[in-house]
Amino acid sequence: MNEILLNNEVIVYLLSETVLYLLLFVAFLVTVGLVKKWNFDAFTTEQFTLENRSYLVMTIIFFGIVLKIILLPYFVYTIDALSDLVPGAMCGAGVIKANAYGNPLLALKIVILFLSGLWLSINSIDLKAKRYPYLKLKSWFFLFIFVLLSAEFLLDILYFTHIETTNPVSCCSVIFGQTGGANSLPFGLDIPKLLMLFYLLFALIVLSLFSNLSLVSVASSILFVVVGYYAVVYFFGTYIYELPTHKCPFCMLQDHYHYVGYAVWGLLLLGTFFAIDYAVMNVFFHTVSQTLKRIAIVLLSMFVFLCSGYVAVYYFKNGVWL
Amino acid sequence: MFLNTNGYKGWIMVVLKNINKIYNEGTPQAFEALKSINLSVSHGETVVLSGVSGSGKSTLLSLIAALDKPSNGKIMVNGELISKLPDLHASTYRAKTIGVIFQHFNLLESLSVEENVIVPLINSGFDMQTIKVLADKSMELSAISHKASQEVKALSGGEKQRCAIARALIHEPELILCDEPTANLDRANSLKFIEILQSLHNMGKTVIVATHDPLFEGLSFVRKVVHMEDGTIVEAKDSE
Amino acid sequence: MRNNAFLHFLTLLLFKQKSKHIGAVLISVIIIFLLSAVLFLSSSLQYSLLSALQKQGDFVVTRIQAGKPANTPVAWVDQILGINGVTHVAPRIYGRYFFAPRENAFLVVGIDFFDEQNNQALQRLLKDVDLKRFFSKDSMLVGEGVRKFLEAHYFKNDFTFKTPKGTFKKVNIYQTLPKQANLIDNDMIIMPIELAREIFGLGEGEVTDITFNVPNDAEWDNIITKLHLLFYDVRVIEKREVKKAYENLYNYKGGLFLILYLVTIVTFMLILYQRYSMVYSTERKEIGILRAVGWSIKDILKLKFYENLVIVIISFIIGVVLAYLYVFVLNAPLLSHIFLGGSNLANHVTFVPVVKFGILGSIFLFYAVPFLAAVLIPAWKVAVTPPKEAML
Repeated sequence: MNEILLNNEVIVYLLSETVLYLLLFVAFLVTVGLVKKWNFDAFTTEQFTLENRSYLVMTIIFFGIVLKIILLPYFVYTIDALSDLVPGAMCGAGVIKANAYGNPLLALKIVILFLSGLWLSINSIDLKAKRYPYLKLKSWFFLFIFVLLSAEFLLDILYFTHIETTNPVSCCSVIFGQTGGANSLPFGLDIPKLLMLFYLLFALIVLSLFSNLSLVSVASSILFVVVGYYAVVYFFGTYIYELPTHKCPFCMLQDHYHYVGYAVWGLLLLGTFFAIDYAVMNVFFHTVSQTLKRIAIVLLSMFVFLCSGYVAVYYFKNGVWL
Repeated sequence: MFLNTNGYKGWIMVVLKNINKIYNEGTPQAFEALKSINLSVSHGETVVLSGVSGSGKSTLLSLIAALDKPSNGKIMVNGELISKLPDLHASTYRAKTIGVIFQHFNLLESLSVEENVIVPLINSGFDMQTIKVLADKSMELSAISHKASQEVKALSGGEKQRCAIARALIHEPELILCDEPTANLDRANSLKFIEILQSLHNMGKTVIVATHDPLFEGLSFVRKVVHMEDGTIVEAKDSE
Repeated sequence: MRNNAFLHFLTLLLFKQKSKHIGAVLISVIIIFLLSAVLFLSSSLQYSLLSALQKQGDFVVTRIQAGKPANTPVAWVDQILGINGVTHVAPRIYGRYFFAPRENAFLVVGIDFFDEQNNQALQRLLKDVDLKRFFSKDSMLVGEGVRKFLEAHYFKNDFTFKTPKGTFKKVNIYQTLPKQANLIDNDMIIMPIELAREIFGLGEGEVTDITFNVPNDAEWDNIITKLHLLFYDVRVIEKREVKKAYENLYNYKGGLFLILYLVTIVTFMLILYQRYSMVYSTERKEIGILRAVGWSIKDILKLKFYENLVIVIISFIIGVVLAYLYVFVLNAPLLSHIFLGGSNLANHVTFVPVVKFGILGSIFLFYAVPFLAAVLIPAWKVAVTPPKEAML
């Protein structure tokens, strides 16, 4: 038996994912029935049963997404805890790289959360309308998400069963460091350009949200996730660690840095999610929610302030930049 | 649209058009409870549905209350088509537009009178203070204030019914539906119920009572008596 | 909060219908209690071990001959001292002394009392020892377990060792080692290195191993290379390797429990499913009434979800608090034997309270997810009760 599978966190995580997947599978079966037989104008008992069943799907998906939101940080926490068991790993960065499944899994998790968040939004406007106008759409959408969920579950299993505890992995300084002087930033960016892009995109998101340029918001939000990721890893992170050579998205999740990484990544992901959600609802479904917009702006601003705050505090304390 | 509702709003409260209700449709036990019902009730009217049990009164009432859905036909209440509503809207309709007084009162036995009365407003978004004020008002109207904190279990039949009335009135509905309201009451309490009905009528509410109790015959404020037999309306006569 | 009508009604229902939920709460509390007791215990042990380990030297080297540990020459000490970055080099005699009549073994550690110790715990310990009195006759420091064992065998103030030469060596018990380090020191005896050499029959200029520190951990890999260049027959044990082994060990014990628990949890889910299917079927009328007076399916689902969440949280808190009291106040009777079993002297460990957020989160997920998942379908079934139910 692989000793990774005996780790407490891994057991709890895999159990939760399995239970969840089983429930979602039930939702999948019910949804297939819905797609096939739904006819709102029918006055048949069958149609009423289907309407009731659609509530089961909703409940399961709602439960699922709430849990997935909790399980994402827990997954990261698990990865981090495993760094004690995997030789060479000092933080999650090494563990996630322990095999080829780790990074796709993490990316897929984030994509699924974004999509299911959108699903919930569509669901809520569907319920508010008088004829379930989006039922077919949301059912097909869920079927698509379910395919991703199945892939995620498969990757979960593949990932945790393929972590070797004997082969040493690289630590974050190797993965993200610039050993050999290579510029590891994408698109030929350097730090000043990256930062400019970072703040400009933030401003663009806020402005486009206020002026309802929804497509611009969606595009800039998606870009902001990417740019934000690089900015944190290659610039703001170094101020969190107070070490110019320490470039890692995972170490900041450890207690040594007061778990600030959960706040940094949480704010970035949630902020961009609400921005995208607001914009998509606006463009495709013509519903405008001021609350969503406000939440998005508040979260993104908090993210930018938090990151910039580390830089400012460092400068005030030490009087120099890193 | 079969009816220009805008012009009639405020005048016609309930319209039923070609309503059929078949239970167990498509099975050998299929049973046609309602056959081509057409009926309209104006705002502020009190209407009595009479007929023996099994004649379809209760079924009709449950369709108007959106507790059940017709097999076909259209029902419009207060300008809103309610014969085929998604659950969220059906329940909003039940919570806002109508108050139902059931034959068996249908109270939550383990709760007190006041706690029962506030049930329809729990999801209304009002805060508890507002709800308490409304509950007090409603219990006063139904003459049950003195038992407010008593558990429902310990109440007499008449008191239970007044509690049910208070619950049906708390959200100040336009339309009040009563299903065999006096079936479980003695004569004194039945007369008291009719008194309350009279005061509701005076407040301008639309009331539909399904009953086979002869006490309701010849009441001055009842505008229309609709007699039902075997799922059809055999006679609808205006009292005036 | 009190002003929110939904919460008001929720607490009202839970309070008035508590008898319905007591069964589920009881089972939950038992499950959470056992689960958290095991995890608290294993993490506390892990913590104690690691903190004890933390205080020890970074490296231990021994000579190895034909793959078998051999006595290490003291002369190595000076050579190791010659490597840059190495501090606190100390020779050590370390081994088990087998007490034949009772088939028990003590861990005897012989150290140079006049050297600076690389083991911080020892350093602190030796500060309080009056060396003049200690060396006035052959003396030793013994662990709590050793003291109790010796006392039971009528060795009150001293113990007589049998040396390999067949002679007897009487050693005075100077004092007992402090209690908090019991997990490791329980069966330990600390004595001057010369005395240990005599008892184990080692030659002059020989020790079992040599320990030392390397304060800069970036240098660790270099130091290992240098050691191998210096001696062809050396075995180097790193502290971080030992640490990993310990961590693995307790992970295993906790993990095995969790695997056993999986079976329990599945049973638990089935029981809950059954139980709530039953409970909810008695609620059909009630739900029908709620629906008839204007509650939507969503409202009912919300009510049921919160009801269960409250039950989950209450049982979680009760279970965890009980487990905390059991492990850290009562010192985990019964359960501690499972974890500490195998040590040859009776051990009385006081567990250091270590409750990490991650452990609590794991326990919560491990129990709450199956719980909520198991009641989800029964809850939906009752929530879609047709409101017509109220008319019947």
